[in-house]
Amino acid sequence: MSVAVELNALTKRFGDFVAVDGISLSVPRGEVFGFLGPNGSGKTTTIRMLTGALAPDGGSAWVLGEDIATHADRVRPRIGYMSQKFSLFEDLTVSENLTFYAGVYALSDAEYADRSAYVMEMADLTGRDRELTGNLSTGLKQRLALGAATMHEPDLLFLDEPTSGVDPVARRRFWDLLYELAERGVTLFVTTHYMEEASNCSRLAFMYRGRVIADGTPRGIQAETGRRLGLATTPSMEDVFVSLVTEQRT
Amino acid sequence: MSGAGRRIRLVMWKEFLQLRRDPLLIRLILLMPVLQLVLFGYVVAVDVKNLPTAIVDLDRTSVSRQVAASIGASDYFTIVAHPTTDAQIRPLMDRGEVAVAVVIEEGTAARLARGETAPLGIVVDGSDTSSATVGAGYATQIVARFNQQRIASSGLAGGLAQSPGLDARVRVLYNPTMASLNTMIPGLVAVILMISLMVVMSQAVVRERESGTLEQMFVTPIRRTEYLIGKVTPYLLLALGQLTLVALVGLFWFKVPFHGSPVVALTGLGLFMLSAIGLGLFVSLVSRTRQQAQQAVLFLMMPFMILSGFIFPISSMPDPIKPITYAIPLRYALDVLRGVAVKGAGFEALATPLLALAGFGVLIFGAAVVATRRRLS
Repeated sequence: MSVAVELNALTKRFGDFVAVDGISLSVPRGEVFGFLGPNGSGKTTTIRMLTGALAPDGGSAWVLGEDIATHADRVRPRIGYMSQKFSLFEDLTVSENLTFYAGVYALSDAEYADRSAYVMEMADLTGRDRELTGNLSTGLKQRLALGAATMHEPDLLFLDEPTSGVDPVARRRFWDLLYELAERGVTLFVTTHYMEEASNCSRLAFMYRGRVIADGTPRGIQAETGRRLGLATTPSMEDVFVSLVTEQRT
Repeated sequence: MSGAGRRIRLVMWKEFLQLRRDPLLIRLILLMPVLQLVLFGYVVAVDVKNLPTAIVDLDRTSVSRQVAASIGASDYFTIVAHPTTDAQIRPLMDRGEVAVAVVIEEGTAARLARGETAPLGIVVDGSDTSSATVGAGYATQIVARFNQQRIASSGLAGGLAQSPGLDARVRVLYNPTMASLNTMIPGLVAVILMISLMVVMSQAVVRERESGTLEQMFVTPIRRTEYLIGKVTPYLLLALGQLTLVALVGLFWFKVPFHGSPVVALTGLGLFMLSAIGLGLFVSLVSRTRQQAQQAVLFLMMPFMILSGFIFPISSMPDPIKPITYAIPLRYALDVLRGVAVKGAGFEALATPLLALAGFGVLIFGAAVVATRRRLS
């Protein structure tokens, strides 16, 4: 199985602060990869390096077989990115936003018609294409952002805290959309601090203070932590996380 | 590459859409030049006229009456008092009844007849500095003209002509009426260009960073250079519209003469735009929020406006300050525009300020683009 993301001792410093401290990871294609950790643990910084928005200070990052430090321009047309903050143009209408991103990725008219119809339906926005994006509800904005990020059918999609600030029902529906994408073969790289979302992933990595402190399948990590703690039952993801972090602190 | 062109067009397209949906910004952009024209055209640049003047004629000769008459005949002075002694001037000024007093000493006619220099006292009210300086300047000019006429009419030899009645040091070559508007409006064109490029553009870039759309764009195939071109062009067009408006109003409403070639003026403006865009980019780089950008622009604008000679003439600045004005690009833009409009100067005469503008433009714009490419995101 080919590799979507390969990190080798990837490091990023901001002054004296080491935001990402030499992490190594390998994410196979087709995975729903969960990148977990508390706020400030270095998740967003890692994603920003993977999308080429930030240059690493050490180590290397290979995305879809290309070195992001030297060939970000070859990677960018093949990835999608949805940031923590809603980042479509709020003072543009829904369809203007889609037109903009379709144009940026050089979609043909036919592709645009096809893809935008899909996005509008998927985001529950059919008939609202002339509405200003800023007036949409948070849940709808999130779905539209996902749609805009996937207009060009990327092979790999980075999602940075995609469901923060969304109610549980909308969050559930959002994950259904992510599964749909995964079924079509899109690799998903999702950061979150919602532990219940971790079990939605096929693989996980726990990040804490710039380091990866555990990685593997959700079940694997749960079982191993249970064994280490001498528990009779499998601990919940929340318990796993708390115990991993406590181990690190001592 | 067609891809780059398409992406630049897209950024421009969305920028224009966003501009159109920001009614406050559009109003500001349209109102700003109008407001500035009114302020500078009617308030700041109002020429000092009808200064209440006292004439103290101690000589009481036909010559002294001629001097007094030529002062009274000008628009600048209105003779309101004829005190008989020097000592009466002070109370008049204290009460604000006169702003200028001209003292014609006893024996003036006799001295002039002997070909000697006759002192002419001009007393101005220093508490109103602009009236004072302008008033003194006008008075000196009028007297100088009076001397010329006297020498010419009496047909005195050249040697005698060197001893005029008053040493008229203030000489205004190109703008004899000293109509401040004629220099103010050409300067205003450059100032408006600078303000709108710096303020509006830095605001737009910072807003994009604040909202996260900047980062979103940079994970797409849009390159930083493409983004910059697409972002700058709409504001450049806007600034061009603004300065056309100012130029037209200046020419046709305020009737400011334009003696030179528009090509020279546009060359100067084009070079100056590089500096303005560069500074706007720098502002957007150091500012995290729009408020910071606003403060940063204010911080830059103050020294620009004051040290460029836009409001206060550089020649009247204190000597230690004068060298600093050479570091202000606006200074050279004013040199070029005023030179073209008022003096009709061409490329040759304006080579120095044009080269300075080119130098500053390349330096500031280049540094800003390099820094922006590194720091954007």
